[in-house]
This record gives sequence, structure tokens and C-alpha cells, in this order.
Amino acid sequence: MPKLTIDGREVEVPQGTNLIEAARLAGVEVPYFCYHPYLTVVGQCRICMVEIEGQPRLAIACATAAADGMVVKSATSQRVKEAREAVMEFLLANHPLDCPVCDQAGECLLQDHAMSEQGGNFASGMLETRRTFPGLERRLLGPHVIQNQNRCIHCSRCIRFTQEISETWALTYKNRGNNAYIDTFDGRPFDDPFSACAADVCPVGALTVREFRFRKRAWKLSSTPSVCPGCSIGCNIWIDHHERIVYRFTPRENPEINATWLCDYGRFLSESLNQQDVVHPKRRLKEGWQKLPWAEVFRALALDVKAAKTLRVVASGYMSNEELYLARELFARRLQGELVVPVFMGEPRKMKNGRRQWLYSQSALPNLEGAKRLGIRTVDEEGLARFLYGAADLTVVLDPQAHPFLATPEAVQLVKVSPTVVAARVDAPLLEAATWVLPAASLAANEGTWVSSTGKVQRFAVAVAPPGEARPLWQILALLARALGFADLAVTTPSQVFQWLVESEQSFAGLDWNTLLGAEQTSYRERQHVG
Amino acid sequence: MESVLLRARGVANSRDITTYLQAGGWEGFKKALSMPPEAVTQEVIDSELRGRGGAGFPTGRKWSFVPKDHPGPKYLICNADESEPGTFKDREIIEYDPQMVLEGIAIASYAIGAHTAYIYIRGEFFRWAKILEEAIAQARAHGFLGKDILNTGYDLDVWVHRGAGAYICGEETALIESLEGKRGFPRLKPPFPAVVGVFGKPTVVNNVETLACLPHIMTRGARWFASIGRPRNTGPKLFCVSGHVNRPGVYELPLGVTFREIIFEHAGGIRNGRKLKAFFPGGSSAPVLTADEVDVVADFDSCAAAGTMLGSGAVIVMDDTVDMVEVGRNLAHFYAHESCGQCTPCREGSDWCLDILNRLVQGYGHPSDPDQLLRICRFASQGMTICPLGDAFSLPISSLVSKFRNEFAAAIARAKPIPPKKLPVMPWVGKDVRFGG
Repeated sequence: MPKLTIDGREVEVPQGTNLIEAARLAGVEVPYFCYHPYLTVVGQCRICMVEIEGQPRLAIACATAAADGMVVKSATSQRVKEAREAVMEFLLANHPLDCPVCDQAGECLLQDHAMSEQGGNFASGMLETRRTFPGLERRLLGPHVIQNQNRCIHCSRCIRFTQEISETWALTYKNRGNNAYIDTFDGRPFDDPFSACAADVCPVGALTVREFRFRKRAWKLSSTPSVCPGCSIGCNIWIDHHERIVYRFTPRENPEINATWLCDYGRFLSESLNQQDVVHPKRRLKEGWQKLPWAEVFRALALDVKAAKTLRVVASGYMSNEELYLARELFARRLQGELVVPVFMGEPRKMKNGRRQWLYSQSALPNLEGAKRLGIRTVDEEGLARFLYGAADLTVVLDPQAHPFLATPEAVQLVKVSPTVVAARVDAPLLEAATWVLPAASLAANEGTWVSSTGKVQRFAVAVAPPGEARPLWQILALLARALGFADLAVTTPSQVFQWLVESEQSFAGLDWNTLLGAEQTSYRERQHVG
Repeated sequence: MESVLLRARGVANSRDITTYLQAGGWEGFKKALSMPPEAVTQEVIDSELRGRGGAGFPTGRKWSFVPKDHPGPKYLICNADESEPGTFKDREIIEYDPQMVLEGIAIASYAIGAHTAYIYIRGEFFRWAKILEEAIAQARAHGFLGKDILNTGYDLDVWVHRGAGAYICGEETALIESLEGKRGFPRLKPPFPAVVGVFGKPTVVNNVETLACLPHIMTRGARWFASIGRPRNTGPKLFCVSGHVNRPGVYELPLGVTFREIIFEHAGGIRNGRKLKAFFPGGSSAPVLTADEVDVVADFDSCAAAGTMLGSGAVIVMDDTVDMVEVGRNLAHFYAHESCGQCTPCREGSDWCLDILNRLVQGYGHPSDPDQLLRICRFASQGMTICPLGDAFSLPISSLVSKFRNEFAAAIARAKPIPPKKLPVMPWVGKDVRFGG
């Protein structure tokens, strides 16, 4: 464990730590553009220059390993300050400075550095016309990434990303020297399954994500830690939202699962969270739908549930552990109903973790592992059909998206034979057959925990308030429990349910709700430094 | 002094191996094979041979950095990517005496324990690549290359690899990348190639001229080699004299002659009886020396003391008709074109220098230009870049500006005002339907 001094602060760091990370541990920020903790070090941008006592030349912090007794000067050295100003002058010589119309503004490392370290004060002797790349100002590199080569600072992060992480080797430099530009190899479209990550790692606005571009200025967004609902891998994400609208997902650092990456499929699910077709709870009467206030709903619904002698419930692998626990407790244990979770594989997905190992999805459901841990019966398509063929007085479908089979006409016919309660967010064929429709909130308005297929229990937090009268499913279940007379199940927060899980379930023992968020980095700026 | 490296120049059929064997060729390798590899390395250390590629690093010490106990393969690379402007010595050696280069490669490979050697030759040297291919075939036929050489159990294969035309691939780590089939980007050091080189294995990269010295060191001994030249700057050296001299060409001289001797005695003085104005002592990457400094001794240490470097030994001579601003522009054009584009100061700085000098030459100078050039050069050199190309363009340009400031001032004095800039504004072409509005 080398012990070194950075800007007068002593710090002890693990062997092999580079000076940027060591400085971060010491609380000193060393600027960088080309360095990325999960990519190889190339030392191209030269902004991370530091002075090491006893060495005649300045050294780049990214490629220098911390050694015992090293005395490093970063912000306190005049030579370092001059060198960094010179590098900034070089970088800005040909940078368009179109920040007002650049979509990266607000989360741009170049802008951050210019404003924070030099206070926006620049003197440049540049009398020349800038080098531009005609035709490459806004070019669609692939389905999701737009390139503006004029802004590029040649850090090669995107190239290294496609070489080392997505392993498609899709991007490359073309040409040489100051005319070098980023292009796809062989000129093919950049249709990497992780293509938007190349825009993520871009420290400037040279690569931007087409879907998010110009929809919201970065500084207006609030970020909430969450988990990607795309598959069972459970990549950590930030939900970026503003005024109750979700604008994008960005990867949240987790070395064990997704490092700082996110696949395009998962990333572009963000838009779907804004969809809320079912806004009011309603009951089907002979003359049509009747909207009811929630209090009425639970009173009437409780009567229906009590009247039913046999009860069958389809839960979902999208439900949190807390919701599954409540559903199991309420429907299976107290009401003696039958409870199943349908399973389906969906498209296979993969993700690379911080140790550069590929993780593969086990199913399309983010919490199938949690359902298994709670001992809820899982059924495949055939099992689900057989389950629905059986007779029951009341069917409860807690999520019509739980399995593609539920969207088939066959499933609609099967549920139609008995009164059916459906909790739904988006329109589904099953709603035609429902007698009760309850508006459930999306992931962005929900709170709870999921278990990833690697066995990690991960919590997601509430990003936005649910639209209309929609409520998170755990709340619907808890209030229904109260209406049915099980006051002990009427929780007011999912953390209470989680506490029961910790106490009763072996696989949850010892976990703490407060530490499960794994979102120690909460500030927007810090996050940009790894993404 | 007798001709050592260029002894085959003017000899009939000099490329043929029989001619080379008659002149005592491949004896040095036979002698090396009879010695343990460490002794060969020690002999080269004793000879105080310094790398002839430009940096002047002691060759024997470079070899000694290769880990002895490395289990995997090691490689030797012969750097024949001679692309420094003004340098044409390696081509001369390959042209007349390719067997000498091969023998040097064999000795060096034996000393470091390599069984594969590559000759990375500049892409434009098509003819010389063919010469080397023929020489390798002959040496192999005579049993000096291949499996179980001369019944000693030592194997060595030599391959010729042609570059694709980039100045930067003469830098050893960029050369290694290029040899691996990648883009010629210099690597971060450390690790040095002696530890992690081509294909991740220990590698020694030596210049053609360095390797050509080895057969002579082995046959005649380190003491003989060290007796030529001056202490720590030993051996014969090829000087490529070009520019405004009466007899440009490659001259083999011992290290330690003065540039006055090189230019005025050997190269026949300045053409048309004109006056010497300035000269680059070691290729275009070395800071320029003025006519007053012509008595500087042409060896590594003396050049360093004079604030320049011997480099590859390419003496580019300029007479008093030369406009130094145009020289700067010419250099800047070359380096801006050859900068690999990897790290910021060199990529942006070389192009910026070119822009300024272009403007100066076109008659649009600005009083701030000389200082701006010096500032760019200051922050593009001395460890600010990954490889020495930053130094290679900034040192000569800053030396031109500081030593011939009066010429820059004159160019600025007769300058016209800079025309107003046209801002690069993207034309509005109506509704952009391509990207969804």
C-alpha cells in the first residue's frame, strides 16, 4: 500500500493505483479527458499533467502509478498550471466553442474544466481560421449516434470502447494528424448493440445520442438511481427526469455488473416509462366503464375478492420483491389463492462488467430471481395457459406485460370466463376482458428491490410522482389488504416489507435497505467523470 | 580513414554473398556464435557503440534491458524506416552491403536470444526491400540463417516487413504497432520495448547503421572500435550531406570531426562560392546551427552541448539565399502532415505552427507571431507528448525563430493586414429531414 502526498494531502492507496485515482482518494481533482477508469490508458489528452518531486519533466497522472513516498503537485504547481493552460489552448484552438447550441453543454468535460479551473478566462493568440470537417458536422454514424467531428478532441475513448468493451471494433481513426477523424470501420453503419455508450464516453459533444439530443438541457435533469428493467442482468442506471417526464437512462457505475455501460435496448426503454394509458381505476358495468375513486375501489373490490371461493393470481417478474412478498402473503397465504409468475426468455442480452467479463441474461424479467427466492411457482408459456384454463371465481392479473401469452386472444378468452382484476399501466388486450382495471405506476414512480440473475439485491428509488391516479403496485396491494381486513399488511412504505423479507427469508438475511441503493455518487458532475 | 561501413561502395557485385565472404564477411557472426551471448553484449558495451538512429542511446545497454529469464520468444527489429528529411545513409548500406546488415542482425539476435528478426523497411524503399529479400535468401542458402546455424543449434529467421509510408513509424513503439498490423501510434513508455515490445514480447529495435557496425566490432574487437572517434562517441559514422554544397552525398567519417570539415572539405564547400548561412546538423528534427557554429564537433555529446543533436547525421546545408521563414514553413508542413494525431500538443501545435508560417510566407504576418510560435513549441516539447515527434517539430522551429528573429521581423514588417475572417457557419438548407427534424 503506497503512501504518497498529493498537493500536501497524505493518502494511502492500493498498489497499482494511478495518480488520478490516488488524487481522487486524497480529495484532489486532477482533470482528464481521455482517461476512463474502465478503458485502457493512452495518455493522449495531456491535461492530467502533474509535477512529481525529483522528476525534471511533468508526468501524466493517468499513466503514472502511485509509489511510496511520492510527492505530487497538481493544483499547487505553477508549472502544472501553465502546462494545463497550454493544453487547453491547444484543445480549444480548433474546438468550435458552440456550447450554446451544443447538446453536451452542462455535461461536457471540456466545458467543465474550462469553467472550473480557468474560470472561463482564456487568452489565445490564435489568429487562424479553425480547422473544420465539412460534411461531418452532423452525421448519423449509426441508428443512435450522431457525430459532429468539429467538436472532437481526439481522446479516442469511443474507439477504445468499441475495441475493448463492445468488441465490435466498429470505430476507428481515419486520416492523420490534425485531420484525423472518427469514422466507422469500412464505413458501415455504427450498429453496435452498445452504440450509445460511445456517446456516453465522449467527453465533448462530438458524439451525441440521437434519441436524447435537444430534448432537454443536461443541467435541468434530475437523476435518480434505479435499475434497468430490460433483462435479468440488472444493470444500474440513473433515471434522468425533469418535471415528471423521464428523458433518458444513463449507466450508473457498478463494477460487478455493468461497470459504466448500458446496452442500447435497455437505454432506450426510458421513453416507455412515460407511457401511462390507464390513469383511473375503473369497473366494468353493463352500460360501460365506471370510474371510481380509489377508496370506493378497495371497498367494492374487497367484497368481490371475499365472495370468490377460488382465486388465481398472475404475478410478474417485473414486480419488486416487496410487491411479490405482499402478493404471496395476501393472495396465496391469507386468501388461499393460487399464485404464479410466468417466465420467458425474450431476446438474449449481454453486458460486460468491470473485470471485463461478459454477463448473459437468464430471462427478460428483471426480478425472476426474486420470485424464485420467495418460493413463488414459476410457469412457462404452457404452464401459464394450463393455469388459466383452470376454473376460478376471480382472476387477478397484476401485470399484463408479465408474459407475451397474456397478450394473445387465447389468453383474453381464458380470463373472460370469470371476473378479472387487472392492474395495468399501458393498454393491453387483456383489458378487454377485465372487470376491474387498476392504474399501476411505472418503474420511475415505484420503489423497491430486484434480484439480478447474478444474485445481487438492488434497490431502485422513486424518480417521479405517478401520473393521474396511478399508484405503485405495492401500495395497491397494501390498501387492498387493509380493505380485506389484514391491517398488518397495510404498509406505508416498501422498506417495511423489505424488513419482513430480511427477517423471514434466508436469502435476504443481513441486508440493509439503506445501503442497497449503491448510489454513493449522487452529484451530477461526479457521475460524468466515470460516464 | 579507411572505409568500414561503406567499404563495398564501388566494388563489383558487392551485394553478392561471395563478394561479402571474400571481404571477410560473416566471420563476426561465427566469432559471436563461439562466445556466450553475454560476452557478445559485453563486447558491444565495451565498444561504446551508440545508436545511429537519432537518439544515440548506447546499444549494448539497450540490449542489457532485455530480461534474461524471459520464457517466451524475444524479437529483434532492424529499423530501416529511414524517413527523417535529409537522411539517406541506411539506403546506401542496404544498396551496397545488405549482407553486412544481415550479419549485424544475426549478431544482435544471438546476443539478446531472439530467434526471429524483422527488418521494418520504409514502404517507398521497394527496390531495397527486394535487395534485402535476395540477401536473406543467399544467407539462408549459405546456412547463416535458418535452423541450426553452423551446427551450433541456434535458429534465426529474418523477415522483411514493408511499412505503409509514415514518418512516425520510424519511432520504435509506433514501428512495433505498425509491425503488429495496427495504426502507427507511438505507445506510452514505460514499459519500454525491451520489456514489452512487439506482440507483447521483449524486443530490441536497432537502426540499420548500428547493426552494420556489429560485424566489425566482433571481428576487430571493441578496443579497435572504441579507438575511432572520441571518448563515449566512438566508431565510424555516416554523414548525409545535402543542400547547397558542391558534392552532396554520404560520407563515412569518424565521430569527432567538425562540421566545418564535413561541409567544406568533404562536401566541397557551398555551391557557386556562396556563403554558408545555416545547417541542420542531424536531420530536420535537430535545432538549426548558424554559420558561426560550424566548428561544433560532430558527435553526440558535443552537439548536445551546442544545444542541438547529432540525430541521424543528416547535415542539411543552407546558403545565404535561403529564406528562414520558408524553411520553417517547409518543416512545419512536413511535421503537421506526419503528426500521428494521437496527443494534443503535437496534433494541434504542429498544424497551428504551419498555419502561422503559411500566413507569414504569404505576407500576412502579425507582430505576435514569433512569440506565438515559441509558445507553441515550448508546450509541445519536453515531455508534453507521448513520443519525440513533439520535440522533433518544436525544437527546430523554435531554434529558427530565436536564431533568425530578424528575418521573421522583416517578414512581419512587410506584411499586409490580415483579411477579416470568415466564420465557418453551416449553411441553412431548410428543414432537416435526415435526422428527424
